[in-house]
Amino acid sequence: MDTHTQAPVVTVREWEQRKEFVGFTDEDARLLRELGPIAEGYADEVVEGLYKQFLQFEETRAFFPDTATLNRVKALQKKYFLELTQGDYGAAYLANRLHVGQVHQQIGLSLRWYMGAYSIYVDLVYPCVLAAFKHDIEKGQRAFLALSKLVRLDTELVITTYIAPSAAIISMQARQARALLEISIPVVQVWAGVVAVPLIGMLDSQRAQLFTERLLERIVEMRASVALVDITGVPMMDTQTAQYLLEAISAVRLLGAQVILTGMRPTIAQTLVHLDIDLSSVATRPSLEAGLRLGLDMLDLQVVPRDAKP
Amino acid sequence: MADENIAVMKVQDVLMVTLPADPDDATVSSLQEKVLQVMEQSEVQGVILDISAVETLDSFFARTVAETAQMVALMGGRTVIAGMRPSVAITTTQLGLILGGAMTALDVDRALGMLSNTPQRGYGR
Repeated sequence: MDTHTQAPVVTVREWEQRKEFVGFTDEDARLLRELGPIAEGYADEVVEGLYKQFLQFEETRAFFPDTATLNRVKALQKKYFLELTQGDYGAAYLANRLHVGQVHQQIGLSLRWYMGAYSIYVDLVYPCVLAAFKHDIEKGQRAFLALSKLVRLDTELVITTYIAPSAAIISMQARQARALLEISIPVVQVWAGVVAVPLIGMLDSQRAQLFTERLLERIVEMRASVALVDITGVPMMDTQTAQYLLEAISAVRLLGAQVILTGMRPTIAQTLVHLDIDLSSVATRPSLEAGLRLGLDMLDLQVVPRDAKP
Repeated sequence: MADENIAVMKVQDVLMVTLPADPDDATVSSLQEKVLQVMEQSEVQGVILDISAVETLDSFFARTVAETAQMVALMGGRTVIAGMRPSVAITTTQLGLILGGAMTALDVDRALGMLSNTPQRGYGR
């Protein structure tokens, strides 16, 4: 377990909180310690019962291809079960349980078999505990309850170790998706004070937010007064995209810049009119070139041939 | 007391008003008072509201600014809101807040440029 390279899946503090939450007290720990020697007595019987069940099912049988492996695992299992009644449930116990959980997750044992095994274990242990405390039934019940509490805490830990790698992957995928999204919105300066950005595809809430943020940041960065937004790459317009676009245009205006919409295709123009979207306050031009020309004009600039007469 | 948060500076015939990062309602109200007070005393053709430090803009602020711009216009001046942060701009549009007849500029520098130009195009350099 590489605890030196990454934060533990469950910290000691969190473990103490979990114990407190389910009401696993020092009294419970004491009871379990008392159960310890008794557990030594029924441990073999319980392990046999559990593995008899494993061997009956094809999926779990596959993990024990030969007798040597089976015996080795049974011995480890017995040790694992006896640890439930050794009486000390602090940092060392936590580390051990997390490690075992990780190992099982890595070898690919499906969670349902792991959980199932715990369930079978509890069923097998119940009569053993009752029998051991037949002179004090009430205490036997408390001891069994303490044991089930601990088993449930163990299963919580196992589930956490199983989920951990997936959670890490999901958050990494989210980061990658965000990075990809940023790259897909290139805002470039085409002239001093003029930026241009192609809008590709439709806008959903997340893309619209990102698009507007990127555009505004770049306007501030480039000190632009004109933003050419090219919508040639927008296949079709819906109310949502149009709305987000209008919001983006308003936001740009608040920064003292103007938006020139370029590349509006006839089909889009048609849709906008049918949707009754009011773009009358927005300057539009058919091409990026025409848009740039207007933008330069807005900046009191003009492109003239080199040999133009004064 | 509240208007100590707002820095007001008159540069020739332009009034420069700088707002703090998180102006409370009292500060925002005093903005309007301050502007009108100065405009009463001297000739002001333009008011620049520098909000480059402002991180949040609520509807009260927006309404006050819009009203102030209207008042300034009635007194023969123009208002420019300068330096709005991208995050504030996004929130303002999402909330549908309107800033009235005030013009907007990237920063104070641009705002000054806008006010010194004759209002033909309205786009500062």
